[in-house]
Amino acid sequence: MSAPSPLTVPLESIASCFEGIIPSTICSCSMGGTPNLTYLSIVHVLDNLHVGLSYQFFNKTRTNILENPRAQVVVVSPETSRQYRLDLRYVRTETEGPSFERMKIRLDAVASQSGMSRVFKLRGVDIFEVLDCGPISSEMHSEVARKTDYLQELDSFTERLAACGDLDSLLSTALETLASFFECPYSFVMFPDEERKHLYTGASRGFEPSGVGSEVVIGKGLLGVVAERHAAVRTTDWTREMILARAVRAAIENLGEKTLLEREIPLPGLPNVRSQLILPLVVGENLQGVLCLQDQFPGRFLATEERVLQIAARHLAVAISNIRAASPPSHKVALRNKRALSKRCSVVKHYKSDDSIFIDDAYLIKGIPGRLLWKLLQAFVGTGRMAFTNKEIRLDADLRLPDIKDNLETRLILLRRRLDERCEFVRLVHAGRGQLQLEVGRRLTLEEIA
Amino acid sequence: MKRAKNSVFISNELKTFLESGISAVVGTRDVDLVPEITRVWGLQVSKDRKSISLCAPLATSRKTLDNLADSGEITVCCCLPTSYKTVQLKGRCIQKTDPSRADLAAVERHREAFGRMNERIGFPRQRTETLWRSELESSAVLVKLRFAPEQIFDQTPGPDAGSPL
Repeated sequence: MSAPSPLTVPLESIASCFEGIIPSTICSCSMGGTPNLTYLSIVHVLDNLHVGLSYQFFNKTRTNILENPRAQVVVVSPETSRQYRLDLRYVRTETEGPSFERMKIRLDAVASQSGMSRVFKLRGVDIFEVLDCGPISSEMHSEVARKTDYLQELDSFTERLAACGDLDSLLSTALETLASFFECPYSFVMFPDEERKHLYTGASRGFEPSGVGSEVVIGKGLLGVVAERHAAVRTTDWTREMILARAVRAAIENLGEKTLLEREIPLPGLPNVRSQLILPLVVGENLQGVLCLQDQFPGRFLATEERVLQIAARHLAVAISNIRAASPPSHKVALRNKRALSKRCSVVKHYKSDDSIFIDDAYLIKGIPGRLLWKLLQAFVGTGRMAFTNKEIRLDADLRLPDIKDNLETRLILLRRRLDERCEFVRLVHAGRGQLQLEVGRRLTLEEIA
Repeated sequence: MKRAKNSVFISNELKTFLESGISAVVGTRDVDLVPEITRVWGLQVSKDRKSISLCAPLATSRKTLDNLADSGEITVCCCLPTSYKTVQLKGRCIQKTDPSRADLAAVERHREAFGRMNERIGFPRQRTETLWRSELESSAVLVKLRFAPEQIFDQTPGPDAGSPL
């Protein structure tokens, strides 16, 4: 049993006030007696008696708290709009440790996405003791209680994943279950490429178009930083984050220091995204991928949701790793051509320079999946062959596959989903463990271009 | 109330900003230099451009009023929710009275503009109305304060925040 909080309003009872959905204000006071006010984008709760504020720029607030440690912060509940005063006493500044690292990763991710990596730098976390917390209005009201018990949802999630025997159905099941049980209708999974330089989208749910095949650079932007640091990043109102970032950008431009600014990176996914939870899919030290959940409403993912979905993501990561580790059985190649070809004819072009594939002059895919499809189509046009095994593909020297066998499965999923989305007469069908079937509904003419 | 030392002139641009749909809070402090924050409404710049009036709900500003009666030191911070443009004014409270009809009309205009501004960034009107009502639920009384700014700062977030305007 934890001791009752000495505060009029315990911090844990107003947890949503500390999520950065509505800005807070801080008032400090100089030794000369002049108050100073500043708006804060977020106040972090560290424990039931301490909060942390990010220290990025040396400013008047900082000067004041170093000479007079008393301060007051007002936070606002995003659910009830009720305001609370926190009477604070500055204790110390931390420049390392768990709180610092957590805040630093989040700041670095947002800074990278908004092109402000050279501007937003966390110098420290100012730690304040909370002397009291009370409502601004004299009436006491209870805050909206959010769901915290997700045992049933996690039970269903793990049960469904355990029934999946291949990566494609695992990803589809995971995203479907996140939508139906956790009310996360917008989700996608990205995988690292063979060089560990990019992430590419291998599966998505709720987006139109699906975004499968889209890429981001590892280490850049929210998704890239999550992949690089193996740490979750959550934003509760992206609109406000961008308003703040653009205000700082404009201030820097006015100072004539444009060299500090980098290009703002477009955010993949929902065009009107407000909430995001990006979770690394890690087993040991190995990054299996990144799971991104988005929503068009602010405050969709709070601390509780992060912890619960982190559990789901860890389970998904282990399931992906297990499926990849299982070596597929070898099968004899069969000649099967059950599907009748229509009289229509399409032209497939393969550009050798980047292995890009165009079907009737419409871009389909490039890189390793492009090379792979070209190989399959050549076999189909040359011999009518439609069935293939993962193993023969892995062993085919012509394909020049990188020496990371884990990735073939995810490349095939990407290729399959791109075909489903962009070409109605070529399909790559999962035909059992380690087997593929190519279904072609038209006559094809293949052209190879240097 | 104490007298202002050197009140500064408020420009047209700043007047427009202060009388728009900003989020406005007042900062004061007691004799032990303990700070206190109160949300305020209906800012109006005087005709001579040397003072600003505003209204604070009595129920939420008792300590603020005590602090002002004691020292007169007042800081007002105004932020536009749609751009984070922020201005801070530091000065002296020079008058405390009951609000007139014109002052209450200014409060209504501010409340309306603040709600509109927040709607533009996806914060529903109902929520800003709840925020407003929560400050007045135990007492609908507003107190009018007039203060003379002596220093004005650009407080827009960034490396140059806090520079004098």
